Amino acid sequence: MKIRKIRIITGIILALFFISAPAFGVDDEPPTSVRIDSLSHLYEGVDFDHELHVDIEENCSVCHHHRFSSEVAADRCAACHSECGGTFSPTCSDCHVAEPFTGKHIRQMEEDPHRFHVDITGLKGAYHLKCLNCHIETGAPTECVDCHERTDAGNRFYSSGKYAPTGGKSGGSHE
Amino acid sequence: MSGISRRKFLKSTVVAGGSAAAAMSSTKSFAMKEFEGYPESMGVLVDLTRCIGCRTCEAACNKEHGLPEPELPFDDFSVFDQVFHEGKQKRRTTEKAYTVVNRYDTKAQGAPVYRKLQCFHCSEPACLTSCFVNAYTKTKEGAVIYNADVCVGCRMCMVACPFSMPAYTYDSALHPQIIKCNFCYDNRLTKGKPPACVEACPQEALTFGHRKTLVKTAHERIRSNPKKYVDHVYGEKEVGGTSWMYLSSVPFDQAGFNTTLQHHPILDNTKSFLGIVPMVLGIWPALFMGFHLLAKGGKGDKESKDKVEVHGE
Repeated sequence: MKIRKIRIITGIILALFFISAPAFGVDDEPPTSVRIDSLSHLYEGVDFDHELHVDIEENCSVCHHHRFSSEVAADRCAACHSECGGTFSPTCSDCHVAEPFTGKHIRQMEEDPHRFHVDITGLKGAYHLKCLNCHIETGAPTECVDCHERTDAGNRFYSSGKYAPTGGKSGGSHE
Repeated sequence: MSGISRRKFLKSTVVAGGSAAAAMSSTKSFAMKEFEGYPESMGVLVDLTRCIGCRTCEAACNKEHGLPEPELPFDDFSVFDQVFHEGKQKRRTTEKAYTVVNRYDTKAQGAPVYRKLQCFHCSEPACLTSCFVNAYTKTKEGAVIYNADVCVGCRMCMVACPFSMPAYTYDSALHPQIIKCNFCYDNRLTKGKPPACVEACPQEALTFGHRKTLVKTAHERIRSNPKKYVDHVYGEKEVGGTSWMYLSSVPFDQAGFNTTLQHHPILDNTKSFLGIVPMVLGIWPALFMGFHLLAKGGKGDKESKDKVEVHGE
């Protein structure tokens, strides 16, 4: 009797999972805007204009690798991932962890001898490397504050703004 | 009489020679012994192709260690134009900054290259071996740390360091000390956390991990992107290996690196000599005193005999 109950509950949970999962599938329309703020501390979160970037670059896999596209961008990836197609979630944080350098995560990456992708950047690195490299290549804005405004904590951190030493020029650019 | 003397002399010479040879061989084995770094040593791989010169690492280091306020804000990029010693020297680590980022306008590529500088945390540090009061320690986690309590301020480490990293608080009259990056040893490394600069870097130009793994990661990045990188991991072999290593897209000398450094520890240059010192100090006095006594002993006996004979007359 008890076992049957457990089986039913498990069945319901599994059914819910399979029903809800395609809700995030590839057939959905891409979001117009994405708020990127899980790491915001020194800078405010970014209101990422997804629609604009979709207009500029139609190939989703340029940013989402093979995970959210039926086509795999690079031949190197296709060797293993040619048939994986779309996936449930296009979120960067599925693979790029927020804290890549904790002792636990370093051990986790080292202990599995069959793991191929051992050099995965963290979430912050993934965002910046992906966004900024493209911005540099295409001539889009590249200064830090062009994408996200600095917080008060950020100004204190950089000894800038109202925390600037006297005579210092804050809010500089690389030009 | 003279026969016994000769036998004695030869005997003692053989003994002395033998012990000297034994000492020599032990010196040699000591000198040949190689230390390849602690197996669990941590390290940081600095990928210059990722660095954008935002100076966030400098700010993070400053705040982490409670260093003095900077003269200019950390978002003032005019510091990259600062040069010293008639334009030959870019910014260096100082008593107020464990780490600095410099810009190099290289000929090899259009965009400038930025390089973060800090203590390289050598596997066999020259600062440590040059210090006669043992103020330095190479920890098993890979950090080269410094103890100001025993330091006598001789600044030999500053001369010994092949990267000119240690700075000195010359303006402190009462408690001057060496200032250098300590790999965030106390606050972070021993607690399984990455250094503050690594954590702060937005571009993940700094990758923290076991040194052994990082060497593999570095070569893998070169292998999978041979056009992007120079085929060299700076710090893998330089001065016997360092915990902080670099990858670059331009030849390393163009990014301000000293590419003439030897591939074995600085200590090796003096190790064989230093190994002989105890032998020379311990055996030579005894050996030559033996020679002296034997030589003088025979003569002395004869002289005293003569004297006795003279007295006898």
